[in-house]
Amino acid sequence: MAKAILTSLITSPSDLRRARRELEALDEFLHQASLRQGGKGAKLPPTSRMLEDLAADSDLNLLKKTDRDRLRKFLTLLIGKAPVIHMSFASEPSSKFLGQLVAWLRENIHPQVVVSVGLQPSIAAGCVVRTANRQFDLSLRQSLDNQTAAFIKNLRGETPS
Amino acid sequence: MSSLTTWWFVGILGVLLAVTLLLIFVAMHSGSKRKGHRSKESPKDAQTLVDQEVEHIFNDAFREELRNRGRLHFEKIIGENAMFLQQDLRLTTSQLNEYMKTEITRKLKEEFTKYEESIMDAKQLAVDSIQKTNTAIDEQRAILGTQLQAQVAEEKKYLVDKFETDMTRVVNHYILESIGNQIDLSDQLGYIIGELEANKKEIIKDISNG
Repeated sequence: MAKAILTSLITSPSDLRRARRELEALDEFLHQASLRQGGKGAKLPPTSRMLEDLAADSDLNLLKKTDRDRLRKFLTLLIGKAPVIHMSFASEPSSKFLGQLVAWLRENIHPQVVVSVGLQPSIAAGCVVRTANRQFDLSLRQSLDNQTAAFIKNLRGETPS
Repeated sequence: MSSLTTWWFVGILGVLLAVTLLLIFVAMHSGSKRKGHRSKESPKDAQTLVDQEVEHIFNDAFREELRNRGRLHFEKIIGENAMFLQQDLRLTTSQLNEYMKTEITRKLKEEFTKYEESIMDAKQLAVDSIQKTNTAIDEQRAILGTQLQAQVAEEKKYLVDKFETDMTRVVNHYILESIGNQIDLSDQLGYIIGELEANKKEIIKDISNG
């Protein structure tokens, strides 16, 4: 359980819930299949790459019930306890961008952190980060506002310190 | 004036008494002449004779004349006294008038002097008060001027600051509107990670506490 690793494809709390739902569906299907009479063909439900990577990164076999149970517990634990960072951008971020960002966050902030993405077009560029108790405005608007004093000094012809 | 009248009256009485004594003396002298003829008469008869002679001299007509004279003289004296009294009264009235005039004039002068002094004092007080008021007004004007200048400077500074702030807001708005949509999010990754790196400790601390 301690070796379970959160794949980079899972970036948000909704991804965690989706993966758990998928895992539960697979588990239900395999349970139904084990009760079914022999000779009848059954097709595995499609699994997402996200779930497959999650199992592969954690060295778990989704066909084994014990591994599925471990993964489900892991996902349930993450859904309840994983630190969530809300990040607002001026436009919808791409998956690649989000993957790179989450990778950096898991490497530098917390290994199980997930990101809840929001849209805030008024910030123009940069982002606004909100944790459980604080907010960090890393937007271009805030950056420009922070440089107001320097701008005014320039306006007055003074040399900004 | 009254003493002079008394002397007149005494003089007249003296003359009358002298005339009376002279008449008595004449009567007695004529009686002594006849004494030789009547030497054998008794003193009682002589006295009667004297009384008769006196009666003969001071008869009713003479008494009436004396009475008239006395009345006329008394009336004359009364008239003179009345005249003197009237003159005295006029003189006294005139002196009284003069005295009253003098006193009233003096009093009026004193009162006017006091009144003038009071007016001068009041005038001086008013002048002092006006001077104090002028001084206070000048001081107040100076204070107000200073305050006004400070307020104008403050207002000017406020307007300049507001202009500068608004200017920065306008420029920021212009920049955001101009280039905000032109910057691709992928190009911002470096900037965002840099900002996250700068706030890394605080984010970790908040996540650990949360």
